[in-house]
Amino acid sequence: MAAVRKHKRVAAAQPGFLPIKSSLDGNSSVIKRRKRVNKNKKKSWNRFSDIQDVEEFLDDVRLQERATGGLIAEKTDDTLFFVDTGETDEKDTQEQTTVKKGKHSKPLRIDLILQPDSHIQAPKNVLAFQQPNAKKQRRISERAAKLAAMGVLPRREKLLQLRSAAAASGLSVKEHPVANNNPDRAFYDLWSAGTPETADPYYLEQTKKKLVKRPDRLNEKPSVLPAVEVIAPGGSYNPDFFSHQDLLREAHEVELKKQKAEEKLARQLAVNEDKATEESTFKEQVEGLIEEEEIEPQEPEGDTEDTVMGPTATQEKKTEKQRKKEKAQRIKDLQRKVERQVIDKQQQLFQLRSISASVKKQEQRTEMRQAQRKVQQEAQKSMPRRLGRLKFQTPDLDVQLSDELASSLRSLKPEGSILKDRFKSLQKRNIIEPRERARFNRKYKLKYSEKRAFREIE
Amino acid sequence: MGGLQKKKYESGSATNYISRNKARKKLSLSLADFRRLCILKGIYPHEPKHKKKVNKGSTAPRTFYLLKDIRFLLHEPIVGKFREYKIFVRKLRKAYGKAEWSGVQRMKENKPAYKLDHIIKERYPTFIDAVRDVDDALSMCFLFSTFARTGKCHVQTIQLCRRLGVEWMNYIIASRSLRKVFLSIKGIYYQAEVLGQTITWIIPYQFAHDHPTDVDYRVMATFTELYTTLLGFVNFRLYQTLNLVYPPKLDGQGEFSLKSECEEDYALESESYSEKLAALSASLARTVPSVEDEEAELDHFPAEGEDLEKMETREKMELEQNKQKKLFEGLKFFLNREVPRESLAFVIRCFGGEVSWDKSLCIGSTYDETDETITHHIVDRPTIDKQYINRYYIQPQWVYDCVNGKILLPVEEYFLGVTLPPHLSPFVEESEGDYVPPEKLKLLALQKGEKPQAEEDEEEEEEEDDEDDEEEDDQSEDEDEAEDEASLAEMEEKRAQGKSLSVKVTPGKVKPENRMRTEQEEKAEEKRLAIMMMKKREKYLYDKIMFGKKRHVREANKLAAKRKAHDDANKPDKKKKKKKC
Repeated sequence: MAAVRKHKRVAAAQPGFLPIKSSLDGNSSVIKRRKRVNKNKKKSWNRFSDIQDVEEFLDDVRLQERATGGLIAEKTDDTLFFVDTGETDEKDTQEQTTVKKGKHSKPLRIDLILQPDSHIQAPKNVLAFQQPNAKKQRRISERAAKLAAMGVLPRREKLLQLRSAAAASGLSVKEHPVANNNPDRAFYDLWSAGTPETADPYYLEQTKKKLVKRPDRLNEKPSVLPAVEVIAPGGSYNPDFFSHQDLLREAHEVELKKQKAEEKLARQLAVNEDKATEESTFKEQVEGLIEEEEIEPQEPEGDTEDTVMGPTATQEKKTEKQRKKEKAQRIKDLQRKVERQVIDKQQQLFQLRSISASVKKQEQRTEMRQAQRKVQQEAQKSMPRRLGRLKFQTPDLDVQLSDELASSLRSLKPEGSILKDRFKSLQKRNIIEPRERARFNRKYKLKYSEKRAFREIE
Repeated sequence: MGGLQKKKYESGSATNYISRNKARKKLSLSLADFRRLCILKGIYPHEPKHKKKVNKGSTAPRTFYLLKDIRFLLHEPIVGKFREYKIFVRKLRKAYGKAEWSGVQRMKENKPAYKLDHIIKERYPTFIDAVRDVDDALSMCFLFSTFARTGKCHVQTIQLCRRLGVEWMNYIIASRSLRKVFLSIKGIYYQAEVLGQTITWIIPYQFAHDHPTDVDYRVMATFTELYTTLLGFVNFRLYQTLNLVYPPKLDGQGEFSLKSECEEDYALESESYSEKLAALSASLARTVPSVEDEEAELDHFPAEGEDLEKMETREKMELEQNKQKKLFEGLKFFLNREVPRESLAFVIRCFGGEVSWDKSLCIGSTYDETDETITHHIVDRPTIDKQYINRYYIQPQWVYDCVNGKILLPVEEYFLGVTLPPHLSPFVEESEGDYVPPEKLKLLALQKGEKPQAEEDEEEEEEEDDEDDEEEDDQSEDEDEAEDEASLAEMEEKRAQGKSLSVKVTPGKVKPENRMRTEQEEKAEEKRLAIMMMKKREKYLYDKIMFGKKRHVREANKLAAKRKAHDDANKPDKKKKKKKC
């Protein structure tokens, strides 16, 4: 506060100072008697010291600065006044400028409004000029100077030089990888013997720059089927009569099989329901009215009593004598068995022929089975495997019936879709597993509500 | 005795396999990314032998992978890229949510991308491996290139597929390696022989699109991503082998002739060049000026016995192929606007023909309809108003049948409005004793050399007046039929005798025939003796086989007879029709 007050004093004491507002002048006339108060506490000081005059003065100073760019008292006369030499000249110059600028150069009013009308320069960002750690900076700069003296360039500088050199030689600075489906992408000779790697293989391995060798097993195809299976000769657009019939028969057989399976399923799923006929309804109505002499089916009555019959055997303890007897019997049996075996072995000598025959037979059978298995394995190679939840479904045969056949190439209507054909072929060759389209399942039910606007109309 | 009891599922097949979900978690990828990775790296699911053991006692059907395969996947650098991409998407979404547009822009510029080059190199260590596997890639590329640009897949992918397909077709034309074409109800099958590998692919008919819903487009797009890369590298190398410029350029002559004033009507300035390439009507520029008549002579090595025979057959094959390569040379075709332009242009150019079409139909036409030197005009409509006298008006099937038959077929059967002979599949190779349709028999007879007479006759007929034409036609047809029947009878006779079809009899020389006959007799005798010497069991088997063969032949004969009856029944109708015409 004291400083402010001092400022005022200083300003007021100056000889050329002109206050803009006149209220400052009449200040002295209205002097109240001073009330004595202690101003030793900050609170009371704030309360009782009158700083309005100072504030008004300062406001005035700011206004002057804003409007004219400085205190008016300090301005020279030529900045404040001009010599009026006549109106015409001024108008001419103004017109000229307007003509020169044209319609377009006139700024919009909104821009004018938004432009700062203060004559005071915007304060500078102090932090931008401050050096937070001057010591560190100094050290860094010293080090850079030292390095520069030694001829070592900083990294940034080096990269910049590289980049500029690349740009000068016509290469692109940063190679953006070209998208795989870019129609203008370039190709090169992939299989030419490129430059052999000169770097240390251990280094390449450790830095993961060397690709892992692909196992040979992976280059085998999962099926022996050809990539493009050509349609049967009956599928020609203008087929030979018999080959067309062959194809039709084939398709027919497939269809028949499908139908049979469907029928079987329907049969199995059918609910065995007796439908009411006229006869049966009549019978129902007269049930009991006509006396029938029928033997009522006898219901098995003793069922419930018979069912629960647990094992009733109660174990009694064996006597010593029984035990001994049983043991002797057991030993005897064992002995007899061993004897029998010995005899059998001896007898086998006389059965040599039949034994060799049976061995031969067995061998033959295994051989046959081996051959069979091999054939089966061969056949399996061209079969679609079970690779997932779903089995491979053979697509429908593409067939045109005799009356659908086109009379000329122009009127041909293509059958089936090649896209689907390719997709199925991939599945058939075990390259991808058969899948079905994921169904969309709504977790919660949809709730319908009328919009308010709609309701209002109703 | 003793030792720790082995625990279940801690060794053996249970530890050799890993379920899909576990594998996915091990790689810390989402299911979609995992699937993509497996497709790109060529890791396929595997069906274990003992599912219950692998599945730790459960019998639920699951997808299993070999654990070693998944371990191999762990080393793949692309896995890292997938993770990066995931994070990129997350960041991008966040930036969108916060409406930080500059951030979005920056992120999009630095979108992570991966390359498949090293995978291609790894999966196909040599170039021939890649060529062997290119069937799939071709079919997929041609399929994708016909897609409409409706958002089922990236427009860029479609464009790339188109470019690669055109490059491939141009290569096939330049190397003249097309062998077979088959117009089926699905699409057009092509077969070519590239560097000794037989390559088959299918191209859909144009404008035949319905998008099936039960196909996983994401999976197919991933396959296409891999296959486009593969096909690009294969194309590059193939172009190199022929000294062609890659990316393909039209040669100076072609470029000059294709220059027309109204190019802007067909394509944008930027696209017009690729469109011209796609028109397939001009040849490509070479890095080394080509020497046209430089044909590699087969090396001759002194050979004996079997080798000699093989050599001879090979030489014969080579000759035949060279002949086939020049099938349409010197012929000038004009395509009417209703025929499939691209396919026909491709096929005709593959065999050395010149082809053009109406200027308003497509870019790249080389001469007008009014050109006097046109020899064949391909039309697929019942009649045509203005006909030029010095050219044949034929239906498109003629071109394809000629290619499959490896000779220029008589044009009469393919004239305008004529009922076409059936289009036979060139992919069927009849083994001995199978039923062969009479059309094919006729073709075989033509190929064997009965052709020259017939063709000359026909040409003479052509030169004669138009008035006689009808009669002559009928006559020639009758002749053909007689010939046909004769050949049929001959074949049947041969069949009845047994397998003497493979033995060639050269007419006109007396001595060698005798020798041949004695040789034959000797052989037959030997065979009979061998049969007599057979063991009982072998004999039984042999009899069984022979019986089966005979039955086969019998069936084939029956079919042939049936066909003949069918034809006989239809003949009067046909004749009537003809007369009406």
